Amino acid sequence: MTDTAETLPETMADASDGANQLRQIPAGVWCAAPIGLLLLAGFLAPLIMVVLFSFMPRGTFSPFGVPTLENYVDIFTQKFYISFGWSLFLALISTAILMVVSYPLAVAIRRAAPRRALVLTILIVAPLFVAENIRLQGWVLFLDKAGVLDGSVKALTGFEIGSLVTNVPAIVFGIVYVYLPFMLFPMIMGLANVPPDVKEAASDLGASRWQMFRDIELPLAAPGLLIGGLLCFVISLGAFSEAKFLGKGVVVTIAQDIESAFTFGQNWPRGSALSALVIILAGAAVYLAMRRLDLEKMLGRAS
Amino acid sequence: MASKTILELKQVDKFFGDKAAVERISLEIVEGEFFTIVGPSGSGKTTLIRMLVGMDTPSRGDILLRGERINDVPANKRPTCMVFQSLALFPHMTVGENVAYPLKCRGIEPGARKARAEECLTLAHLPMEYYDRPVTQCSGGERQRVALARALAFDPDILFFDEPLSALDYKLKKLLEKELKDIQRETGKTFIYITHSLEEAMVMSDRIGVMNEGRMVQIGAPREIYRRPNSRFVSEFMGEVNVLPVTAKGGKLHCQSLGTSFEVPPGAQETDGVLIIRPEDMRFVNGEPPVNGVLSGEIFNEYLLGSRVQYQVRAGGTTLLVEKQRDSAAPDPAARITFAPENSMLFAE
Amino acid sequence: MTSDRTLLGDRLLRSYVIFVIIVFYVPMLAVALASISRSRFFVFPIRRTSWKWYNDTFASLQIKEAALTSITIAFFVAILSVALALAGALAYARYDWKGKRVYQQLLLVPIFFPQSVLGLALQIWFSSIGVQMTWTATVFAHLVWIAPIVTLIIAIQAFGYDASIEEAAMDLGASRWQVFRDITLPLLGPGIFSGFLFAVLLSWGNFPLSYFTSGASVTIPEWLYGKMIGGYTPMVPAVGFLSVIAGAIVLIVGLTINNRLQRR
Repeated sequence: MTDTAETLPETMADASDGANQLRQIPAGVWCAAPIGLLLLAGFLAPLIMVVLFSFMPRGTFSPFGVPTLENYVDIFTQKFYISFGWSLFLALISTAILMVVSYPLAVAIRRAAPRRALVLTILIVAPLFVAENIRLQGWVLFLDKAGVLDGSVKALTGFEIGSLVTNVPAIVFGIVYVYLPFMLFPMIMGLANVPPDVKEAASDLGASRWQMFRDIELPLAAPGLLIGGLLCFVISLGAFSEAKFLGKGVVVTIAQDIESAFTFGQNWPRGSALSALVIILAGAAVYLAMRRLDLEKMLGRAS
Repeated sequence: MASKTILELKQVDKFFGDKAAVERISLEIVEGEFFTIVGPSGSGKTTLIRMLVGMDTPSRGDILLRGERINDVPANKRPTCMVFQSLALFPHMTVGENVAYPLKCRGIEPGARKARAEECLTLAHLPMEYYDRPVTQCSGGERQRVALARALAFDPDILFFDEPLSALDYKLKKLLEKELKDIQRETGKTFIYITHSLEEAMVMSDRIGVMNEGRMVQIGAPREIYRRPNSRFVSEFMGEVNVLPVTAKGGKLHCQSLGTSFEVPPGAQETDGVLIIRPEDMRFVNGEPPVNGVLSGEIFNEYLLGSRVQYQVRAGGTTLLVEKQRDSAAPDPAARITFAPENSMLFAE
Repeated sequence: MTSDRTLLGDRLLRSYVIFVIIVFYVPMLAVALASISRSRFFVFPIRRTSWKWYNDTFASLQIKEAALTSITIAFFVAILSVALALAGALAYARYDWKGKRVYQQLLLVPIFFPQSVLGLALQIWFSSIGVQMTWTATVFAHLVWIAPIVTLIIAIQAFGYDASIEEAAMDLGASRWQVFRDITLPLLGPGIFSGFLFAVLLSWGNFPLSYFTSGASVTIPEWLYGKMIGGYTPMVPAVGFLSVIAGAIVLIVGLTINNRLQRR
């Protein structure tokens, strides 16, 4: 028996045994390393670069100038906060609608027999693989003046609806349509955390449907709702094509402002400052939600 | 001891952080014995067996296999093998592929592999036609046998079992316990078995080690553990018991709550503590005058336990358990109870 | 009485689900209709139908090139993201290591991020460090978003089976490599396949990341965007519908194979 081992903590004792230090690195670290490096180089670094650029003087193309706050000042003096406000508003209202629209769907898919649930799931996932542009174009063709809807109604009744696009509700509709799967699947995962026998027990104990929903189903499914709501909020903050095609410019979202600052404006620092605001907002929302989630449990660890 | 020691543990500790899961365990396992480690959940028995199999390394102390230190030898380099609690059958393989897997790992050619695998199926009482069946189509008992056959195919020096029978129904469990014992005798291999069920341990084992809170509290033959537990924990772990708090007073043990004194059990040191009597060692007495060591009480409940009946007797504020044969005469509801001093156990507290 | 109400509730729910699914496919239908309308500007009901726009599409070199670019990108993204995700999923679900919880959460962040902003950030980053923006840069950009998704898909599969199976193989004398080849890989098979399928399809349909990083290369969604901005032509719905069909074929073939894998 080695007496040194008495005082050394386990890992140190192991390290002194093995000559090869590399072998002491746990397998998990090795496995996480490639994707970790990818995200470091492809996610973290670009975001840091954006933040750096946001402090550069207007119109420069190097991140190493004299730092200044003028771009952030511009956001307020040149009323860029309006587009920021629109994006926030669109994201919030769309997320709220998504919650209400998706919930019954999630419940139905949870209740359906496995085969049917699979078919429903596939039917809802499939459109995700079609570029957003095409789907939104499809809605324009359907809803616009002389489109499928207007044309059909006119042919059948003689009554003219006119154009249903080029307004804010159309943009909200577009966002809800595009991001519905992102709300639905976390919701289904959340509902999977509600064991059916718990619901039965609650109703056996005299809970009404409403009480069962409020006291049992909702709290247990909360992590799923939270993650879905968060996901939709954050990605719809970046909504871009919806406002462009369905709104046809009635409102300008922050993503459009960012894009034009980079392209037409050729003003990277301004685009960066606007992006930095989005990054901060998205980061804060993600951070707050993540702290409350047990991912292992949600993804269904066997034990 | 005349027989050879196969596995030896010397002062083995395992810490998780600064919490000890296993503490100072020393143990010698004899070649060819059926040794069972019993303990409640959280007693450290799974941690211990994981170290013995090679899936964990001890924080301190040594594990010796035939005198050689194997602390840092990984599981796949040890000549030992385990049947998991979950059985851990490979769900994407057939029964035969499962059983032949250790042979495949060793690079044995397919023909010899199959012959040996079939031998092991027979040994585990599985019909040969199961060989090509997907393992997912087997019943609980059959899966049990596949796991056993697979471990036997490995031909280990020591075969470990981590509560593999705990998920089975009573009847099947009883059957497999006996078969396991038979297989152990037939193959002459050393079996180390862990379970939380003492009943299971009693049926199969040559020796039992009882664990509690990371320590090995008693090691002995089943009879010895049952008749002469060395602590209140072991005696209570063995089944339901009557626990009477007593104080030593002039060569006798006085029980405040019952207002009676008892003899000190033969061979025990007179001390304050608890006196423990098994329900089946209590008996009803009829017609004798009240003397020391006889308790009066009221029967308020009775349960049928197979061939025996258990009575709950309320006496002086405590509830006593008394068991007797079912077919003997029913006791008087106003019962008087006694027990022989040699059947009681005294533990200081 | 309660059962009547439950029945009514179930019917309402079923009608709602059917309604939503129909709504989901309305734009595809509109695109299909627009693609076979002869007139330059879509007017419904269609007066004259024609395959002209499909013929134009197949004749266009530009579109052929865009399709080739999209397919190449999707192929490389799928291969690379499965390789990254397989290792990543083992770290996610299999091994216990310090920092695992943080890793599990950080991996989700790129998924939970506005893609237009990510695309722009990548554009600035690439041009700052002097990376040529072509389709290879787009592959990288897609990986940032898709590899974490594929990791989650494979991780779910890895969570689905008991870790002691691998320990048991180890205990039976298998080396690390044998455990990986004989146990881990076959058990993760369906997850790996689904992940691959997802990667192909998500890459095929992605617009924002491609738009900001592909430089002179043009993918199908980018081509569509350009035409939608620059002036509508009925080739937009024609290409769009073909792209839908291509995606659907990949999905159906993929699901069939997946079904086989799962059943085994």
